[in-house]
Amino acid sequence: MKFGLFFELSTPRPFTTENQRDVYENAIEQTVLADELGFNSAWCVEHHFLEEYSHSSCPDMFLAALARETKHIRLGFGIGTCVPEMHSPIRWAEKAAFLDMLSNGRAEFGTGRSSTWNELGGFEANIDETKRTWDEFCRVIPKMWTEERFSHQGTNFSMPERCILPKPVQNPHPPLWVAVTAPGTELDAGDRGMGAIILSIADVERVAPRIAEYRKRISTCEPVGEFVNDQVAIANWMYCHEDGDYATQKGNELISTFGYMAGQTVEISEAYPANNYTALGLLGSLRPDPNAPDAGKKPPASGLCFGDPKHLVETIRRWEAAGVDQIIFMLQAREHLPQQDVLASLRLFARDVMPHFSDQRSTKMAVKA
Amino acid sequence: MNKPELLYGERSSPDFARPESVLDYAATKALALDNVEIFYSLFEIPMSDVLRALPASLHPSIPAVLCTNFWKATESPFGPFAFAYVGPACRTGIKPRHMVTRAWCDNPVAAHYLLTHYGFDCKPAVIRCGESYERIRGQVLVDGKTLLDITTTDCVPIVGGGSVKYSPPLNLCLVDDRPLFAQLEVGYSFKRVLRGSLAAPVFDAKATGDIALTPSYAIAGTFAVCDVQLMPVRFAVDLTVSAEEGGAIKLKR
Repeated sequence: MKFGLFFELSTPRPFTTENQRDVYENAIEQTVLADELGFNSAWCVEHHFLEEYSHSSCPDMFLAALARETKHIRLGFGIGTCVPEMHSPIRWAEKAAFLDMLSNGRAEFGTGRSSTWNELGGFEANIDETKRTWDEFCRVIPKMWTEERFSHQGTNFSMPERCILPKPVQNPHPPLWVAVTAPGTELDAGDRGMGAIILSIADVERVAPRIAEYRKRISTCEPVGEFVNDQVAIANWMYCHEDGDYATQKGNELISTFGYMAGQTVEISEAYPANNYTALGLLGSLRPDPNAPDAGKKPPASGLCFGDPKHLVETIRRWEAAGVDQIIFMLQAREHLPQQDVLASLRLFARDVMPHFSDQRSTKMAVKA
Repeated sequence: MNKPELLYGERSSPDFARPESVLDYAATKALALDNVEIFYSLFEIPMSDVLRALPASLHPSIPAVLCTNFWKATESPFGPFAFAYVGPACRTGIKPRHMVTRAWCDNPVAAHYLLTHYGFDCKPAVIRCGESYERIRGQVLVDGKTLLDITTTDCVPIVGGGSVKYSPPLNLCLVDDRPLFAQLEVGYSFKRVLRGSLAAPVFDAKATGDIALTPSYAIAGTFAVCDVQLMPVRFAVDLTVSAEEGGAIKLKR
């Protein structure tokens, strides 16, 4: 089991220079400490126009800053949006390879397609096409990294032959991932040989069948990249404190704050019914959990990592038994917790929880036959 | 840490006229209607406008959104009827809702039922709603004047109903002599859904609420044929309590 950090860069109003800068600087400080403590990865989302919820419109720049401040921790796009109105796949290939160069081979590349009207509507994206464009991006980006020169005539993207530069440090290329919010996307990840980042605020037992199905699908996949990235990461929350009740209380406050911010966004299914958005995304899943048999009631959240070290060890053991390879933690929501408390939580976690999971697994790279 | 600023409606509760409608929330039976045609449209509106329109007990969606919704039922206990309403999207806690600012109905018996059971204070109007070969169209006419003319063209079918989410409307009405927003919950069984490009050839903003809300960007129009179940009101939101301290109240029968 490996551990990482997951940054939304949520920011309190008013959006002053100080408030925005504090969020960025605090996140960098958390990552530097996590690097020293032995955490495996730090991921940064890409979001646009999500007031308070996420001021992380340029994850490549944030990750580049982390690359120069850290030594070992892996750096992930969590995720890059594969929608042509927002990005060309060429630019994603360039940015990820650039990060790989600046970090000396520590880049991870997560992909996704957004699920909010805020973002897709703001860019006037063709919402009906996002699944297809994501699929096409996933297939061309690895080739841009591995082929000296690349050309493509596709459905949503075409280009004449060019040499896309720089080439990544990692050979054959950075691991590929998919953000899994709506149920079913883990199957898309498995079919393509990509890692699954499952964003979950739910019971371990509810997610476990999805992980099992992912493992089945990836065993017979046709990888879009040069290797199969057979890994499941759970994006989760963590606040660790010696006083378990206090940690739970603070954790619930984080969830409540996150819910308030996420609740204001406009989900695609709320605004623009589309055949490729039949399930709620993460934000919508807060109202309510789409997997819950009793949807509409408050979702249970036994998989959340709020508590004292003993409780966290028990919770993580259950994630491990469910087949999770790594957990990447959200630590903040709109700077609700003082920075010193977040840093103390990381230190306590590293001291009293991580040693129970010292059998760190290395990244699986099954080179495509 | 300082308490963060939050984004809530700015309209003071005394600015809202005391509602005349009294909710009969003792009702326990759902109203079932088959083959209802629903024409639901969403527009973006300026955030500054919606903040002026919403009370502190509700917070806005981001971006600010306004809906128009037409219902046509050819069979009901009240005979055929159509009704329509307009209102901005809002949130109670984290739940998406619409605060109804104006409603109309073409059948007085149905209008009375909608008033007493769900708090819709419907004005009499001619309401046209229907599907033709080229477009979906909904109109509200009062005294011969068109207040709303909403159209959707270039429709594409949406498979199943899982992609369609209608936010429950909130109607300001008196509940036990308190002004509360009653929340209408509806169960939908979709038979057919279309989505298309939206336009509002006529949108009389002044006639659709106390505070004029003018569409600034058309999102989409959705037309559905479905069986519906209008549930008895279970939840309400207190007009006078801030969203931070209030939220939905479960009504006790």
